[in-house]
Amino acid sequence: MLKRLLLLRGTEIIVLALLACIPLTVSNSYLLGLLTLLTIYGILLIGLDVTVGYLGQVNLAQAAFLGLGAYAAGLSVSLLGFGMMGALGVSLLVGLVLGGVLAFPALRLEGPQFALATLSFSALSTTVLNEWDGLTGGAQGLSLNRPPLFGQTLGASGFYWLCLVILALVWMGMRNLLASQWGRAFEALRDSPIATDAMGVGTFRHKVAGFALGSSLGGLAGGLYAFNFQYLQPQSFTYDLMVILLLGVVLGGRKSLWGAFFGASLIVLLPNLLSNRILFEVISAAGLLLALVAGGRGWMKKTTKPFQALAPVIAMGMLVAGGFMVENTENWRKAIFALMLFSVVVGLPDGIMGFAARYLTKLFRISPSALPPASNLDDVLPLGKSSGGVLLELQALKRYFGGVKAVDGINMKVKKGQVHGLIGPNGSGKSTAVNVISGLYAPTSGEILLGGKPLPRGSLFKVARAGVSRTFQNLQLFGELSALDNVMLALKGAYRVPLPLVLLGFSRAEDRRAKADALALLALAGLADQAGMRAKDLTYGAQRFLEIARALARKPELLILDEPAAGLAHPDVSVLVSIIKSIRERGITIILIEHHMDVVSELCDTVTVIDSGQVIAEGTPDEVKRDPKVIKAYLGVAPDEPVAMPA
Amino acid sequence: MNMTIIAQMAVSGALMGMVYALIAYGFQLTYATSKSINFGQGELVMLSAFFSLTLLNLGAPYWLMVIGGLLFGAAMGLVVERACVRLALEQKSEGWILLTIIFGLLGFSAAENIWGRDDRPFPSPISSDALDFFGISITGLEIAVAVGVLAVMGVIELFKHKTLLGKAFAAVSADRDAAELMGISATKTIMLSYGLSGMVAAMAGILISPITTVGPTMASALILKAFSVAVVAGLDSGFGVVVIGICLGALESLTSFYLGSGWREAPGLLLLILALAVRPNGVFGKANIRKV
Repeated sequence: MLKRLLLLRGTEIIVLALLACIPLTVSNSYLLGLLTLLTIYGILLIGLDVTVGYLGQVNLAQAAFLGLGAYAAGLSVSLLGFGMMGALGVSLLVGLVLGGVLAFPALRLEGPQFALATLSFSALSTTVLNEWDGLTGGAQGLSLNRPPLFGQTLGASGFYWLCLVILALVWMGMRNLLASQWGRAFEALRDSPIATDAMGVGTFRHKVAGFALGSSLGGLAGGLYAFNFQYLQPQSFTYDLMVILLLGVVLGGRKSLWGAFFGASLIVLLPNLLSNRILFEVISAAGLLLALVAGGRGWMKKTTKPFQALAPVIAMGMLVAGGFMVENTENWRKAIFALMLFSVVVGLPDGIMGFAARYLTKLFRISPSALPPASNLDDVLPLGKSSGGVLLELQALKRYFGGVKAVDGINMKVKKGQVHGLIGPNGSGKSTAVNVISGLYAPTSGEILLGGKPLPRGSLFKVARAGVSRTFQNLQLFGELSALDNVMLALKGAYRVPLPLVLLGFSRAEDRRAKADALALLALAGLADQAGMRAKDLTYGAQRFLEIARALARKPELLILDEPAAGLAHPDVSVLVSIIKSIRERGITIILIEHHMDVVSELCDTVTVIDSGQVIAEGTPDEVKRDPKVIKAYLGVAPDEPVAMPA
Repeated sequence: MNMTIIAQMAVSGALMGMVYALIAYGFQLTYATSKSINFGQGELVMLSAFFSLTLLNLGAPYWLMVIGGLLFGAAMGLVVERACVRLALEQKSEGWILLTIIFGLLGFSAAENIWGRDDRPFPSPISSDALDFFGISITGLEIAVAVGVLAVMGVIELFKHKTLLGKAFAAVSADRDAAELMGISATKTIMLSYGLSGMVAAMAGILISPITTVGPTMASALILKAFSVAVVAGLDSGFGVVVIGICLGALESLTSFYLGSGWREAPGLLLLILALAVRPNGVFGKANIRKV
């Protein structure tokens, strides 16, 4: 534990100190220029990594935010006479506001649509910078002077130190943020936006916040960029730069501050790398070798498909061959970027830092950080029988899809503290009914009352916040997050520290408490010893139990379990039954959709049977099993005398 | 302002818009089968145009150039499918966006170095003399564009609706897994769609080049407009892209007339962002239901 902290923080401090000392010992203005650029690109790429790495979207607007921030800083100095800090503040704000504005249309979008929205935004901003020449000087460019910082004029090394300090602050802020609930939420909404909403976390605000944050760092980097070069041109911030930035993030390694830093160094060094023929050939040969080794290993172990292993080798081979054939590598720089980026995306999806991190963790035997002892479960979910009365009431609930009447006028009352079964043949409308209750679909008509008050309609997020939690028939776990993080993400009422304090690192205490509480819930689901595993690596049964633990973290009044036993092996079914029993002991009302009749008989106090979107029977499990209408619905014929229901 | 001039601008813009529609149609073809589009399609148009120009310069007759250009486009489409799209889809990632962008970059750089950075004229057997329709002059080239676009789209639509292979297309786009269970190879259908899409891109290049000239920068100019058309119209309506393409072309030409040519791309881009915000499935697209 201490070793981990020492190694990780120690490396950061040593690198920072080294970077800070260089101007004291070496007086080479070219080197200083490169270092300054390195810090600026570092900030820019950390911002880009929020969308590309954590939100998992291809963001093509970061170069535009760099440009907009740069022009904002430049103009606030030349037109408004702002000082250094004021101008940088303006550039940060421009990135934040425009990022927020762009995030709204981009919000509902995934994948290609998101990429398109950001691409149009950057094309549009280049047009504006070019054409609004009264303000920006158009294609002629904009010259500006570096303003004083608190009355002091900054020389080259002074400005470098300023950039370095800002990079260090951004680094610390981001590290704190990404380790907090915010970071978890960013990753969660990449893996499953639906579950993020259903856990009351809210995709909306986190997506906007994540994008605006990344863009604001782009703007801030733009401000520094402006004061570094003191001359701006719209052509500097086009698509070409964007591709280079993506190269930096992907090659360095996504979801990693070190990756962003490494990517930035690479971008800064690329021009030198390309102009020096021998260096270029050495590096391309090394790339080819790496592709051969990595591809060969993957191919031998059959973890990668042949073409997947071969493609990076071909790309790197083209690079090496090109190095011998082409007269001037400088002219081919775009093609060189393309080939390098291609090889990395295909052959090294975690980037160089992702690869190195795994290797270094093994080398230094760095263990993952230790877990706190679990809280007492009774403190997380207090014991207690809730008194009778109706918790949930459905009044003539309807949901039509076009002409299909999936739910056609259901009336149902769920009593407090009961396990209420909801059964019916396949396609009878059970799942649609709970999807309407939990807010995935808005009802076509009818009322849903929770404790006498109408439940919000058609919003998973609002229903979750109102005290209803659910699991999904088709698992909706956050696959890349650990089991522990899955539960921590959903934990209700655990995170109260406001964003500015989170950035300063004041959320550690509450995060620790949340971790302890989440461990207690994992223990309830029998997953205490698998807390650190990624959700997608758990066994199928464990994944089902994890969904229950996660839903419990909402501390719900009403818990909806949508076919929790589907696909479970027999021993797991008995575990499931005992988990549900211990949940009932804590006074939580449960709606259980299930096909296993033995599970239903054992657990349910009341059972409602649905067929063709309508209630056909209600009563105790034994009563409905004998109901002729129920038997007909399942077997298709009304028997002369009652027969047992199929299990 | 003289009405005739406005009408003149609108009509020539609209005819150019037909080409944007054709490129956008290429996006629809691949989106239907694989839910992916080639972000390097603009470069594909440009590369095919350059290749065709080279064929002409080598002395090939015009009809042979068209065939050669189309085959080249189809081949490039297949390369994109194998090296970018399928590779990424095998890893179940959105990596295809990045990989097709990379392909475009490589194509751009290659064109810059092989054919040079300057714009070059592209000869055409059709005369560029203007014909007069009610005071609006339209060149033969512009008419050829309209006819060519509609012919290509018509042939492909016929193919999709009247042949068995075309029905496989519809099957894969409706439900990939079900189609596979019925013995249709989704992989082959996706390859076919990328081949067709590349061919369509090559046709767009051959049609538009005599009017605009050929140069590496034509790629980015065209692709942004084609994206706008495809998104505003929706990625599943062939009729929609033609309508929106014509409107957008006219709008663009009027914008550049009134605000200056630097702004000509602005309305399309704004419309694209607006369309994504208000109707992510496009004006002619169908909304889909969230499923869990």
